Amino acid sequence: MTVDSSLLSSCARAASAAEARFRIDAPVESRSARVVALDDRAADVLRSVADLGWISARFLVCETVIGGGVAAGDFLLRDIDGDPAVLADELRGTHVVVMVATQDSGADAAYAIGKACWERSIMTAGLVLGDGFEVQDAVAALRPHARVLLPTADESDVVELLRALRV
Amino acid sequence: MLRADINELLTQTGPKTPMGELFRQYWMPACLAEELPEDGCPPIRLKLLSERLVAFRDSYGNYGLIDEFCAHRGASLWFGRNEEGGLRCPYHGWKYDTTGQCLDVPSEADNSSFAANVKLTSYPLVKIGDVLWTYMGDPATQPPLPEFEFALVPPEHTYTSKRWQQSNWLQAFEGGIDSSHVTFLHSGGLKTDPLFKGAKGNEYNLNDTKPFFEVADSDGGLFVGARRNAEDGKYYWRITPWVMPNFTMVPPRGDHPIHGHFWVPIDDENCWAYSFDNHPVRPLTREERQAMIDGHGVHSENIPGTYRPVANMDNDYLMDREAQKRGEYYSGIKGIAIQDSSLQESMGPIVDRTKERLVPADSGIIKARAKLRKAALALRDQGITPPGVDPAHHHVRSAAVVLPQREAFLDAARDDVKVKPGMPVASV
Repeated sequence: MTVDSSLLSSCARAASAAEARFRIDAPVESRSARVVALDDRAADVLRSVADLGWISARFLVCETVIGGGVAAGDFLLRDIDGDPAVLADELRGTHVVVMVATQDSGADAAYAIGKACWERSIMTAGLVLGDGFEVQDAVAALRPHARVLLPTADESDVVELLRALRV
Repeated sequence: MLRADINELLTQTGPKTPMGELFRQYWMPACLAEELPEDGCPPIRLKLLSERLVAFRDSYGNYGLIDEFCAHRGASLWFGRNEEGGLRCPYHGWKYDTTGQCLDVPSEADNSSFAANVKLTSYPLVKIGDVLWTYMGDPATQPPLPEFEFALVPPEHTYTSKRWQQSNWLQAFEGGIDSSHVTFLHSGGLKTDPLFKGAKGNEYNLNDTKPFFEVADSDGGLFVGARRNAEDGKYYWRITPWVMPNFTMVPPRGDHPIHGHFWVPIDDENCWAYSFDNHPVRPLTREERQAMIDGHGVHSENIPGTYRPVANMDNDYLMDREAQKRGEYYSGIKGIAIQDSSLQESMGPIVDRTKERLVPADSGIIKARAKLRKAALALRDQGITPPGVDPAHHHVRSAAVVLPQREAFLDAARDDVKVKPGMPVASV
């Protein structure tokens, strides 16, 4: 059957800004997120960010690597209130992990968390707050395991990213 | 996702809007030089940032960009007669020069000073390369002329085209910094397009469909690095620069010319996509230039005498389902430019970003939106000149490089993303 292509395109031509408001009406389910501070200053940043109110993001602070072997699941964390948390537990059911670093001291933790996420097929993003060389090692450690890496001097990028991801 | 008020802020570029004021800080393409090919040629109508304008080249060779409508009764000066140093409205004969100054009101007395008191809004119009550039902001803060490499290389090294896109500028621009769609939407073109094919980098693109991204600030905007696996434990990086607010470049492939875009708002539901190719070292070959004219690479085949693509919304972009099935064109649409415009226009004239579901791979877009918003508000509230106004910020190139895994792309390729006149681009 031959179809008049101009007829087919009539709906496309009828597109308007007003009509676009009626698109994608299905409820948007939030993705489960863990936001992990890899050092003390990053923890300070996340404490203020956590106060903004989020749908499905849990904020964690990385403090200790048990055994030094950085094996997946061995990683101890604290939540933003200081209660202990276990990485393996936190990653269960999580869709995306955002790691935040401000200095090189978080390099080992970045590697361990990134590796654990990689093994569980969890999406990762890394935000490195600071200028150039002062965070070079943290950036390098995050690079193999953070699918997206944002070295930035602007702390508000943490909020921008999380809001855009609807977490 | 983006809040509705921020989406409105970023997509509205008319006079007195925050983004409109931001755009009015910059020199930007008004039209192609070919549209005003000779002294005294016919004027053209232009709509830029929602303002209706007329561009003309007077009989002495001066370029002008003035209000489209005669101050007398509001008739369009597009109907004007381009004669003896001015554009004369054919309705009652009022005549204007390239600065918008009224020179003659025939109905007034011979020595009347009335015409001297009539002046239309006008903007400077300057030819640099293949483009006529304008600055629509406050004359007191007019910046130095733009210094983008594609406009400064010798004429035989460069080619610029433009096409009308029926969408807001922002969704067109966002395609320009979205490296992750290339592996899918443009996969056919990497194998067949005469301006893309044959490069070693194409293999990396096609073999690794899940790139990693790094987004780094630059003086004028951003560098977006897309990383794919290469051999010997190295990474293949494609580096896309963005100079605020609307200039993007595509990372190069092999020895092909390097290309990029300007995304210029016509109004809030239409934009011009300016597409350029240039080679800093050698003239474009006859075959390359003809391929660009024919709509290959980042260019489009336009309806003769217009800047509307032959494949457009009215004919479903000449969708070819058989080619889609064969994989010749991943979306069934021919040509890189139309592959982009077809999908971006399908989103609607102004996409509702409150409903989108961004993923971390969209971080370049997220960061760019944030920078635009902050710059527009800083200009409005504090009068801060935004990044990208300084011509030094224009001296950027895209690059495609293979680097050791530990190397930060911007540290390792810092020299590669700077313009070095007459020197080759960093390309794989």
